[in-house]
Amino acid sequence: MIKYCLIGALLAGGLQTGFAQGPERINLSDPNLVVVDDSVIPIPLEIFASLDKLGAQNWASQVGKRDIVLDTNRSRTAMLFGLIVSDGFIAVQAEDKEGVKRMGREVLRLASTLGIGSSVEGHANSIITHAGHGEWDVVRKELDRTRQTAVNQMKEMRDEDLVDLVSLGGWLGGTQALAAVLRENYTTEGSDLLNQIDLVKQLKTDFNSLPKRARRGELFSQVEKTLTHLESLMISDSSGAISEGKVIEISLSTRNLVNAIYES
Amino acid sequence: MRADLNPILLVTRTLPLVLTLSVLDPVSAQDAEKSGSPVVVEEIDPIKLAAQRAALSDLTGETPFILRESGWSGTIKPGEARLVQMQFFRRNEYQFWLAMGNRKAELNLNVYDGEGQKVDSDVIVYDETNVASTRVRPELTGVYYVRISLKTTIDEPQKWSMIYAYR
Repeated sequence: MIKYCLIGALLAGGLQTGFAQGPERINLSDPNLVVVDDSVIPIPLEIFASLDKLGAQNWASQVGKRDIVLDTNRSRTAMLFGLIVSDGFIAVQAEDKEGVKRMGREVLRLASTLGIGSSVEGHANSIITHAGHGEWDVVRKELDRTRQTAVNQMKEMRDEDLVDLVSLGGWLGGTQALAAVLRENYTTEGSDLLNQIDLVKQLKTDFNSLPKRARRGELFSQVEKTLTHLESLMISDSSGAISEGKVIEISLSTRNLVNAIYES
Repeated sequence: MRADLNPILLVTRTLPLVLTLSVLDPVSAQDAEKSGSPVVVEEIDPIKLAAQRAALSDLTGETPFILRESGWSGTIKPGEARLVQMQFFRRNEYQFWLAMGNRKAELNLNVYDGEGQKVDSDVIVYDETNVASTRVRPELTGVYYVRISLKTTIDEPQKWSMIYAYR
């Protein structure tokens, strides 16, 4: 059946009738498909934006206030870097000026430890300055830039193992906050945001592909176990929802791992 | 008209001639303005710039899209396709902008769900055929695939760049 729709004028260019070309269906198991390697992990704000459409959430309760004790383990520092950037996003969502400024300072300290301080210094200073003025749009953009600049710099320095760990830390921090907020105020509608099984699988694959020297020790065993556990939990039912029990379990599991990264 | 295509909204737009720095880089623009110091410009990829130029009008207004810093790039031959895996969240809206180097290049940009079924999207076409955009509102949270393809209207492989935003 030939189908089309005509919709009223929107923009200067005006309204036209048209069709999106491309096959109606693709076979995802086709070995000839070329999937682009570069994966983009959603930043916490993408997820929070969706949840906030269901009503105001208590993001302020999720703003971290921990002291970070650094050691010589660069893999852990990379995960902490990702966690701190995600904490920054949470603080932005909560519009917590002091929280964001503290994150900005920690970002710079962690970046310096990873040898990329000079690359992110401008972003970190900008975060601190603009947070002080409550310019959240700018802070949000600078946080995303901080993360991207760090990742680019790590790739340039052939520190690609650290890139995956930064992504993992960032995802973990955002997921922990999301699960905690959903746990406080469970709704079936909001719970679907934890339907991230493919993302967890990808993170786990990336993690397991790291050289053993980059994931040696008890902390990294816990990372692997937690990702496996989350893989079994982040499956929605037929309506797209994740049960309250699973949300609680995801919250506890992610919180335990975040605690372990900070405290190890 | 072809029978195998979904109904879509297709809008044509004229690309702005000048990239407004303050939209894509509010920080540098504001800080430079305050300090009077020159803006430090990183090496610019002209193809990515074309995608950013197309995005400009959607990054302002009452409910602007929020542009991510991440993006993708590569090279593609005519008649070939690439897939980019994405995690979408229900209730959000996503927009992608794809650009290629040759002004005669013609592109397709489509979104598929985790089962490989094409999802309805709004297609925005520009007066330059080497830039395309699509906007999608996922019905479910989960994995999706953005499919990029280059038509056989030209012979040479093309460098491409894609960026995205959400709201």
